[in-house]
Amino acid sequence: MTRRSLDEIDRQIVAQLSTDARTSNRQIASDLGVTEGTVRARIKRMEEEKQIRITAVTNIDRFRNGSLAYIWIEVERSYQVREVASELARITELGFVGEMLGRSDILAITMVRSNEHLAEFVHQRISGLPGVRRTESTLGVNFVKHDYRMARIVS
Amino acid sequence: MSLASISSRQQPAAQIELDETDHRIIALLRGDGRLPYRSIARELNLTEATVRARVRRLEESRTMRVVAVTDIEAAGYGMLLAIGVQVEDRSPEEVGRDMAAIPEVFSVNIVVGTQDLEILMVAEDQAALQGLLHEKLATMAGVRRLTPALAVNVLKNQPDWVPFHDPA
Repeated sequence: MTRRSLDEIDRQIVAQLSTDARTSNRQIASDLGVTEGTVRARIKRMEEEKQIRITAVTNIDRFRNGSLAYIWIEVERSYQVREVASELARITELGFVGEMLGRSDILAITMVRSNEHLAEFVHQRISGLPGVRRTESTLGVNFVKHDYRMARIVS
Repeated sequence: MSLASISSRQQPAAQIELDETDHRIIALLRGDGRLPYRSIARELNLTEATVRARVRRLEESRTMRVVAVTDIEAAGYGMLLAIGVQVEDRSPEEVGRDMAAIPEVFSVNIVVGTQDLEILMVAEDQAALQGLLHEKLATMAGVRRLTPALAVNVLKNQPDWVPFHDPA
């Protein structure tokens, strides 16, 4: 599935909304020299086509002093990749799930409180899923950057 | 050191106490970031002025931001990679900071184990990817080895644990 790319005006509108999406259509229209109707229609279209999502993001760590955990998952048989990845995508605690080539079959990323919490999460929620052969986890010690503007919009 | 410099913008979110009303405003804005103040006020049985003031307080304390999140594919990025980085002669923190300055590198984490850093990066196409990998990352001071994995299908990339940093 290929999503339509944003054109220049779309990108300029998104650039304004990406730091403060409460900016009024009127303000954006006057900044970009287009009509308010154009801004409104384009935002509506981009949202409907799932090119953008306008949402509140919070800086409240899900856990105080939480660490990011990378969980690499290998499946029993290669045909199971899609099925296992779909199951993983339903786990709300996972912020990223991707089918990968190279290093392992699937990468899942979550935030945990500690090493113990990571072990518990992997054992209770991932290792037991049908098709999961083995997992390998890496615990982050310092979160340098995560650009919330880049996402995969699915819902 | 003066008090003013202690409470500079570089500080992580000021700890403000959130009450039930704040949480309900955040929940409504998570669902639709463009919801008019008037509608939020009506929904929560508050005045529009109260809602405006609450939202401003949440934003100014860096607790919440309402933003447009762009789909990576719609933004023109066809490829996403998870790259493990081994470092030598320089600290992972320094190398991580340099990598974080590259716009296509959207996540940088210092880890312990075989790799020193784990980064997530997008690229427009194969040519752009090669440029980023070989000319920007591989030649960066302190980078010993890059171990990339290519995502063929990203099912989910919508973390609710993002740290705020001021976009360039």
